[in-house]
Amino acid sequence: MKKKILSVMLVACMAAVSLAGCASGSKEAETTKAETTAAETTAAETTASVAETTAAVAGAYDLSTEDIQNIIKRGKLEVGCKADVLKFGYQDTATGKYEGLEIDISYAIAGAIFGCTMEEAKAKDLCNFTAVTAATRGELLDNGTIDIVAATFTIKPDRLELWNFSTPYFTDHVGFLVKKDAGYKSAADLDGCIIGVASGSSTQKAIESYLAENNIAAKVTFQEFDTYPLISAALSTGNVDCFSVDRSILAAYNDDTTEILPDEFGPQDYGIATKKGNDGLTALVDQVVNEMISDGTMDSLLKSWGIE
Amino acid sequence: MSSLFNMDKWSRLFADPEIIKGFFEGMKLTIIVSVCGLMLALVLGIIFGVMSVSKSKVLRGIARVYVEFFQNTPLVLQTFFYYYSLPAIRRTLFHMSVKEARLPANVYGIMGVGIYHGAYISEVIRAGIEAVPKGQLEAAYSQGFTTIQAMRYIILPQTLKMIFPPLTNQALNLVKNSSVLALIGGFDLMYKSNSYVCATSNICGYFLCAMMYFIICFPLARLTKYLEVRAQRNPVVKTAKKAEVV
Repeated sequence: MKKKILSVMLVACMAAVSLAGCASGSKEAETTKAETTAAETTAAETTASVAETTAAVAGAYDLSTEDIQNIIKRGKLEVGCKADVLKFGYQDTATGKYEGLEIDISYAIAGAIFGCTMEEAKAKDLCNFTAVTAATRGELLDNGTIDIVAATFTIKPDRLELWNFSTPYFTDHVGFLVKKDAGYKSAADLDGCIIGVASGSSTQKAIESYLAENNIAAKVTFQEFDTYPLISAALSTGNVDCFSVDRSILAAYNDDTTEILPDEFGPQDYGIATKKGNDGLTALVDQVVNEMISDGTMDSLLKSWGIE
Repeated sequence: MSSLFNMDKWSRLFADPEIIKGFFEGMKLTIIVSVCGLMLALVLGIIFGVMSVSKSKVLRGIARVYVEFFQNTPLVLQTFFYYYSLPAIRRTLFHMSVKEARLPANVYGIMGVGIYHGAYISEVIRAGIEAVPKGQLEAAYSQGFTTIQAMRYIILPQTLKMIFPPLTNQALNLVKNSSVLALIGGFDLMYKSNSYVCATSNICGYFLCAMMYFIICFPLARLTKYLEVRAQRNPVVKTAKKAEVV
């Protein structure tokens, strides 16, 4: 019996090791092959034709890089977005369609890649959306399931070490949502409170530094939840005293029984994340976002989605 | 999958002793909740299991309703129900403030897995008692045993041997099901690993979590197997013989 177990474990170990070898080996082979053949022959042709069409629509984009060519070959831009954040990334349960600011930005990026406008990209359905959470977004980006993450992803120094981010397209601030009848007036009243935050968000750090910087003596504890609706439910049933996340998201959960405290702190810059190494796509995404900001598209999008 | 073999991610996971400490704290809480939950499940299981075989139709009915209700609704839903309703009930009943009425998350976890697995354990115990031939009890009565004595010396020793394997199996499932705590911010092992993975996007945290659950569960699984083999080797008849000697 013991022998059997041992041998099974040994086989498992060997399989793991060989798999690891395969994974890295085949990847290298793929990239080198792609570099030599695809880049030289097909890429040159397609870029020439695609670049012509894009130039007519917007600024000229460099589509020659391999990462972008892969997207063009695939025919769709894979986007990781939020499914439960109103106005940013929200899946309409009736139609299954995604909508929001970040969805529009994704279509604009898809438009730049496939040589059309944002509306045309939307009509042609050039984006494939995958709902991501804090737990999945990084891994899905790293393993190539999605090309970009447009999901209220805050740019932070430690995240910049792992992924590339575009220029911020929106800056939000952290806020506190509390029950009206609890009588809290500002962060100073939150002593002894439990604050519900989203798993993997930068909210907790922002609150800690806000309290420390302003010498607010309130001692608070944090409880993480996987989704915003769970935190909202915990607040309404009295399991947490305070729901804290970026204010624009909080606004969607504010109702007759709750209020948002005046404290506004911890600027959260949202950027579009791309995988390290996908430099062509990173540059293109940044170019699109910058153009949208400079030509006023971003402002009108923010206005049309009612984001302040 | 690729990142599971990324040594850089693994070294980042193990680089910070605070993170590993957090995982072990989570593991400790998981074990505490599992042990307390198992106690609760055993108490409920024995009470409702014995009720299931009682002569009273009312008691049998109550036990039936308990077992069927908790076996046929999801554990997550049950735990959410305790988590969301108990503070409100305590507020209205005892006129407590919002903060006083709140219970620590592990209480909900213990209640959740305890009551849920209590229903399964009560079925295990009912089946165990029913599996002992009726003649055993009648024989005990004929020798002047009272009901309690007959249970204590004749029926239960035979029952125990039979129910140990399914009982350890329940304990095993209970440990894994305690991960429901993660959903209500319970600081258990699943919560800690989820928190780590969400904050760092380092999926190796889940793998470490799996290994830690495995460390708790594997001995239990082996125990189940061992008890099964032993129960087969020592058939009920042997125990009956022992009881006769007593």
